[in-house]
Amino acid sequence: MNTFSFSDLLRRPESGAVLGLLFVLVFFVIFGSVEFLKPAGAASWLNVAANLGIVAIPVGLLMISGELDISIGAMIPAGALTVGIISGQFGLPIWVGIAGALGLGVIVGLINGLLVVNTAVPSLIVTLGTLFAVQGLALGFSVLLTGTTSVALSPAESGAIAKALFGQFIGGGFQVTIFWWLLFTAVYVFYVHYSPFGNWLFAMGGDRVSARNAGIPTDKLTITLFVLSSVSAAFVGMCQAILFNVAQVSAGMTFIFNSIISVVVGGVLLTGGFGSVIGIFLGTITFAIVNQGIYFTSFDRNWSSLIIGAMLLLAVLMNNTFRIMALTYSPKKK
Amino acid sequence: MAFKRILIAALAATAVVSTASAANIAVIGGKNDDAFWNIIKKGVDDARLVVEANGGTVNYLRLQTYDNFAPDVVQLIQTAISQKVDGLVIPNWVPEGEDPAIKEATAAGIKVILMNAGGIDKARELGAINYVGSDEYIAGVAGGEYFFKNGKKNVLCVNTVPGAANLEARCKGVIDGISKAGGAGKQLPLPATSFGDATAVAEAIKATLLQDGGIDGVITISAGDADSAAIGVMQAGKTEGVLLGTFDLNQSGLDRIKDGTQGFAIDQQPYLQSLLAVTLLASAIDFGTDLPTSPLLTGPGIVDKGNIDATLAGVGKGAR
Repeated sequence: MNTFSFSDLLRRPESGAVLGLLFVLVFFVIFGSVEFLKPAGAASWLNVAANLGIVAIPVGLLMISGELDISIGAMIPAGALTVGIISGQFGLPIWVGIAGALGLGVIVGLINGLLVVNTAVPSLIVTLGTLFAVQGLALGFSVLLTGTTSVALSPAESGAIAKALFGQFIGGGFQVTIFWWLLFTAVYVFYVHYSPFGNWLFAMGGDRVSARNAGIPTDKLTITLFVLSSVSAAFVGMCQAILFNVAQVSAGMTFIFNSIISVVVGGVLLTGGFGSVIGIFLGTITFAIVNQGIYFTSFDRNWSSLIIGAMLLLAVLMNNTFRIMALTYSPKKK
Repeated sequence: MAFKRILIAALAATAVVSTASAANIAVIGGKNDDAFWNIIKKGVDDARLVVEANGGTVNYLRLQTYDNFAPDVVQLIQTAISQKVDGLVIPNWVPEGEDPAIKEATAAGIKVILMNAGGIDKARELGAINYVGSDEYIAGVAGGEYFFKNGKKNVLCVNTVPGAANLEARCKGVIDGISKAGGAGKQLPLPATSFGDATAVAEAIKATLLQDGGIDGVITISAGDADSAAIGVMQAGKTEGVLLGTFDLNQSGLDRIKDGTQGFAIDQQPYLQSLLAVTLLASAIDFGTDLPTSPLLTGPGIVDKGNIDATLAGVGKGAR
């Protein structure tokens, strides 16, 4: 049973994502320079990937289960501002600020989850509503409490421990966030692929009604996923505030599109029911490489967006074509 | 009863407006929760003391939201006209919408000053007596020259919203300013996928600095981007050699200027815009003064190590 089979390996959901990743790597090594793979260059895209990846995985899991969460775009600045206002403006201990940021994530996630489960409104619309609502709250409270839309959080206010845990650079250029990302990815891999939780997830994305009839606690699972994505977004915002010593109202919106792109490049179907954590992980790296690789090439920077768009499309196309080939492949009968 | 009281109050207010001999001025401004417009308000409030000392009044009319922008601004202009004010200070944000209403105001004998947005050509076209504000291009040139004066020869202008006319003018000004002085400059337009992602902006700047070792000056088009740029410059190991500047002010940027990790910030000094516009207009109405300086530029004001303490004091008082 356990004999190694090449075709089995290729049929895993993440193998297409590996191909997309290899494609963009080769592209930027050819058109850019190998600097891009050396530590300073690698930090450039790993840092971007880590911040995006922490949010992209729960967003991807929601997509596998057939839901969408775009309120993360507002939760990132809201998380940053919460810690900025509590610890920067009012000078309370950083742990209170961190707890406040993550607590806000739990509350918004619960609101998203409960609304989606208890109303017939699609999650896109529910989270669009909370996206604007949270954005408005962040702006309103920021100006009301601090008189500005950009709240400073000095290293002294963060304190050495929080700065070391959430906002330092390791080995010259690697954000500590990268290690959080790896840790979270490992935990997600375990829960999604090696525990019943994962089977429930895929069953729910495939057919929600049948899943519920089969005894899977679909409501609880959906709410948990929304809480995870909101808390993850607040976590990223909190880390950015501690790292950059500032929290801003006008940040984070690009994370909505960027996380969905990463998830799709990573092989998750927009319709749900198919995908993997490792695939999302690789998709995020692919996106980050495409986004940052441009700075290692000699292309005129005015073409950046065009190249990013074309590369991502190619990566998804390769992934899709490959998945169809892999899934329709049938071994020769002996 | 309440209605009657309001009616009497309204009548009394009308009486004050129509019988007062000195300038009654309306100032139109942005939302309450917009930090910039609260600095403008401080200028209006301080100018009011002068106007009231001469028997006039100042009324600051603010937009409630930005959702229905052009019609709301026009509505405020109509309100000012119907109040029969003597003078109107207004930003020309949306010329297509505002111009007919502003012309209506000048036709009704109201003296107008354009503030913050519009420019002197627009002011002349509309029959306004002056423009008080800054000019993005001139501010950029001043930034470029500042780099050169501080020994920097090769400047990168980081534009996180390429294509926005005012931001392009800022970068163009910087590049022209440093080029004319004898250095060189170029723009780094960032893709839309990086906007609002501090890490992506920081890493883009770091990568550019590592790739082009000749760059010794970096300027960002907003204060928030300077927060990312500071980390990017630090991560490239170039905090010593690269001078960082930015357009606009925020607390963290001022902190960096104070501790020496940022060179300067270019401020359009909004406090001066409303303070000068209101007093200038009142003086023109009450005493017939005519200021030959036009446009009246309130920026660029450069904040650096030399004036950081006074600037921070101004921030504390809501004027910066």
